[in-house]
Amino acid sequence: MWIEALVLATLLAAGIVFLAPDRVAPRLAFVLSLIPLVGSLWMFLNFDGSGNALREGSTIAFQNRVEWFQLGDLYTLNWHVGLDGISMPLVVLSTILTTLAIVSAWTPIEERQSQFYGLMLFLEAALIGVFVALDFFVWFVFWEAVLIPMYLLIGIWGGPRRKYAAIKFFVYTNIASLVMFIGFVALVFGLGDAVTTFDLTDVAQALTETEPDAVGWMDASTLKAAAFAALFIGFAVKVPVVPFHTWLPDAHVEAPSPVSVLLAGVLLKMGTYALLRFNFTMLADQAMRFAEIIAAVAVISVIYGALLALAQRDLKRIVAYSSVSSMGYVILGLMALTIYGVGGATFQMLSHGLISGLLFMIVGVIYHETHTRMVSDISGLATQMPITVGAFVAGGFAYMGLPLMSGFAAEFFVFLGSFGSPHLPASHIVTPMAMFGIVIVAGYLLWAMQQTLFGEFDLATDYNPREAQLHDLAPIAVLLALIIILGVAPEVAFEMIRDATAPIIPGGDM
Amino acid sequence: MEGFLELAPATALLPLISFIVILAFGRQLPMQGAIPGVVATFISLVLSVVVFIVVGQGYTYNEDIYTWVAGDEVIELSFGILIDPLSSLMLVIVALIAFLVHLFSVGYMNLDEGHAERGGLPRYYASLGLFTFSMLAFVLANNLLMAFIFFELVGLCSYLLIGFWFTDKAPPSAAKKAFLVTRFGDYFFLIGTVAVLATFGTAAFAGSDSFPVIAQDIIAGDISETAIETFGFEASTWFTIVGLLILGGVVGKSAQFPLHTWLPDAMEGPTPVSALIHAATMVAAGVYLVARMFGFYAISPTALAIIAFVGAFTALFAATMGVVKDDIKQVLAYSTISQYGYIMLGLGVGGFVAGTFHLMNHAFFKALLFLGAGSVIVMTHHQQDMWKLGGLKDRAPITYWTFLAGALALAGIIPFSGFWSKDEILYDALAVGLETPILLVAYAMALLAVFFTGFYTFRMVMLTFHGEPRSEYAESPDPVGWQIQLPLVVLGVLAVVAGFVNMVPVEKLTGLEIAYLYQWLDQAWLEQPIPETAAGTYSALVAQELPSADPNVLLPALIALALALGGALLAYRLYSDPEPQRHVDELGSVGHVVEHNYYQDEFQVWLAQGVTARVARVADIFDQGVIDGLVNASSSISLFSSEHLKRIQTGVVTNYATLLLIGFLLILLGFGIYGGWF
Repeated sequence: MWIEALVLATLLAAGIVFLAPDRVAPRLAFVLSLIPLVGSLWMFLNFDGSGNALREGSTIAFQNRVEWFQLGDLYTLNWHVGLDGISMPLVVLSTILTTLAIVSAWTPIEERQSQFYGLMLFLEAALIGVFVALDFFVWFVFWEAVLIPMYLLIGIWGGPRRKYAAIKFFVYTNIASLVMFIGFVALVFGLGDAVTTFDLTDVAQALTETEPDAVGWMDASTLKAAAFAALFIGFAVKVPVVPFHTWLPDAHVEAPSPVSVLLAGVLLKMGTYALLRFNFTMLADQAMRFAEIIAAVAVISVIYGALLALAQRDLKRIVAYSSVSSMGYVILGLMALTIYGVGGATFQMLSHGLISGLLFMIVGVIYHETHTRMVSDISGLATQMPITVGAFVAGGFAYMGLPLMSGFAAEFFVFLGSFGSPHLPASHIVTPMAMFGIVIVAGYLLWAMQQTLFGEFDLATDYNPREAQLHDLAPIAVLLALIIILGVAPEVAFEMIRDATAPIIPGGDM
Repeated sequence: MEGFLELAPATALLPLISFIVILAFGRQLPMQGAIPGVVATFISLVLSVVVFIVVGQGYTYNEDIYTWVAGDEVIELSFGILIDPLSSLMLVIVALIAFLVHLFSVGYMNLDEGHAERGGLPRYYASLGLFTFSMLAFVLANNLLMAFIFFELVGLCSYLLIGFWFTDKAPPSAAKKAFLVTRFGDYFFLIGTVAVLATFGTAAFAGSDSFPVIAQDIIAGDISETAIETFGFEASTWFTIVGLLILGGVVGKSAQFPLHTWLPDAMEGPTPVSALIHAATMVAAGVYLVARMFGFYAISPTALAIIAFVGAFTALFAATMGVVKDDIKQVLAYSTISQYGYIMLGLGVGGFVAGTFHLMNHAFFKALLFLGAGSVIVMTHHQQDMWKLGGLKDRAPITYWTFLAGALALAGIIPFSGFWSKDEILYDALAVGLETPILLVAYAMALLAVFFTGFYTFRMVMLTFHGEPRSEYAESPDPVGWQIQLPLVVLGVLAVVAGFVNMVPVEKLTGLEIAYLYQWLDQAWLEQPIPETAAGTYSALVAQELPSADPNVLLPALIALALALGGALLAYRLYSDPEPQRHVDELGSVGHVVEHNYYQDEFQVWLAQGVTARVARVADIFDQGVIDGLVNASSSISLFSSEHLKRIQTGVVTNYATLLLIGFLLILLGFGIYGGWF
């Protein structure tokens, strides 16, 4: 019941804040967001799960499964929630980032505060729901529910082209959801009598035991391949994977910074998390079938995304495109289908959530002080706001994968897992190709830092930037601390991730 | 006694504590953070000497101390400490130079008005502390992953310190270049590290199940090749590939051709930092890594030959560029590149002891020369152009005499330290070259570089200290404090005497057993030796792959000495004039090419800006135009079609009735065709 309490408390908080006056909403939202934060941390510390939620023989933590209603005679729908070592850290990531994003919104959000913070909390509830749901319908409801607050947050509080960006985000990801939905439902129909629910655990179990029947003109093998492709494309938009990534920079540039924090920090992870659950756990055999294509997509996402970031002149676009590159590592790690590969991919979800959240916050602070995000407009900020700039440098190096920060651990695990992976074709060639991303990322971040932070102070806009306020810096400091903790002691999270990853590795290698 | 070795991590952690303290308290600290830095590195130095002595008593240490990732079901990744004669020696070198640099910094940064008023000193000392910590931890690392981790942190610290004066234009650019170029090398190192773990399942340097030992056993045929994953290659080929990948990181950090370009730019950092980078940390890290995992390179003659050639070529190439520089720090920078070329050559021809020996001597005399240059800079109000110096010999005697000792060591003049180690490297190269003639080319390049070294070194000495002062600041230099003089004297003494620890030619001629460094590294006298890291083990391994002759020791030494003296004398002749002339123009177009560093920088800038940035822009245009264009086109199509389709919603009942009828007929037709009615 803990999970239900967590989601309900967050929803309730959203409602309270929504009705509160604008004046108190920022502080109230922060205080109320501590409830899910503390709750999820308590669950993290008392986590007693083992194994993978979609595999038999595992213990799902905080599980609750009740029959909900009948769908015709054939299917029963369950309310099924629970956590394993993969979803638990992601829930904590969501709650931490939401609280920090709320604090980071105090300065930049100056109107309709109660609605803004209410929507932020509503978003948090939906995000938690996505990670805790173990029944397809429950999961899908939360998955779609995420779109609503995000659409409004971009569309109301965004930049000049916010309507374009919000609609593009909504339509693009919604069409993707449709494709994915059809793919999954077709798969369940194909399984016929083998499953009587849409419970993810049942479907995953059925897929290990039986082959689906032919549906229409599709035989079992084609059906699985088609379902895999539909799911993959559906999630690839969310991740985003090249070539489905173009909504991302638009959404980021228009979204207010606190929203970007959650968009990059958690929303993208919905895509990779779903890929891990559906494509690389339930349909891992199909993933191996398409290994060449997926590996190519991963490498292209890394290199092409990094090159695009290199070409940008807007700080926020640079960070936005670099997410495409970072998510490419996640795909590579998942495709490796080794413990270090999949575990590293999961760790990268956490780590990228923290690091990209950090960079978006800092860019937000800089924007608030200078009213520009163009690299060419700013130089020598270090003399004006030394602490923010110090954090920028630290965050930049974290993004470059500096050892003893979480990004290095994540990328190293991925590389280690994929280099010797038996499931990745020419793994010892493909992995070094993707690894070249670490050079390009250093190139564009160092360039951007040199241009904007160093040299003599000069600003094209008519503002006089000052050091950010304490409540702007506090969330930045918390994120940096978490990044270093996870980099020095990755076991804090990797222990449970590894435990949940091991059961889904085909053949149990490495 | 043995228990003292467990203190070794403290040598590294103390500077880390200093970093954290300075970061937290900054300006409130006395002397803006200098005190914690100096105290921490001094205690580190004392501890490292204790460790050295304990190793001298016959003890070693090789333990994992922290599990980074636990090993259930996966490869365990951990941090550990390896203390053997090599690492204990390096520990003392690094701790000593770090301490002296901290002390010197008090004089250079705090007490010099020009530097002090620019501020940022807590940041300076915090970075120095982190730098020292990273390097000491790197030296103590007992596995390749940990070495990589601290190798990268060393790179971060050099970024922070090279770019220390960030309000100027050049330092941030130099810092970026340093990190980026070495990152390019580290890319290969990271692949190598991952490959080692994927191949052997361990990255330990020493121990019976360490990767060099497993590799040696496989080459020797004691273990089957199938025990490890070699990705379809022959084991020996794969080991060479992996070794060369790791070498990428070495080439970057140790500024070897073609990744040497960052080092001369790195002069933008404060001078004490240059001393630290060149002598004991960043640049030394690269070659130390080769020495640390020498057991892995020793079984691959191809990798060794490549190391030797890269080293010899770099030695010569950089020495020629040093000849035409006007900035005293630039000359020293190119000399560093060149000298690390020698160390690489030494290691590449199997001279593990010779390479380590030169690494040690170079650390002392190069730190000395940089600090000496720093002293000159402080006393002349930041004058670095040698053409504006001159005549400092009598005006700054301590700086002059210590600098001269360093210069003689650098040029390789007997009996200064550089002579003994450079001679040993050249001797080893010759000995191997006589059996494998192609390596004679490397030997010849290195020999030629000796001449250039003698020349540029004494050109620098003559221009800076001799003749008449050529600027008002050189006319009346400011006095410098003891914080500057003491490090110079300590290092000056070491530059004279350090070479005596391994006088191999004397040993061979007289039969006295005085090659103490060889004995130290050979571990024969240890109670707990780590045989797989002993010098004798390495030479036996190398001998199987690269046989060596036994030429006379005297003649090669005399040739090298004659060349060094020749270069020095030529410089003396050309620049001893009270009003020396520039002679670069006499070199014609060759001089022009050399002055522009063989257009290496231009080439790399072209690679970064001309190629990569252009590709990125094309990718961006493609992305905006084609990929996003398709996305927007699909929405345009639906907008366009709905715009037209909505016109059939006329609101006129007869229209709807017509459409209904047409629809019904079409469905009927469809069923008809499908059902085969026609």
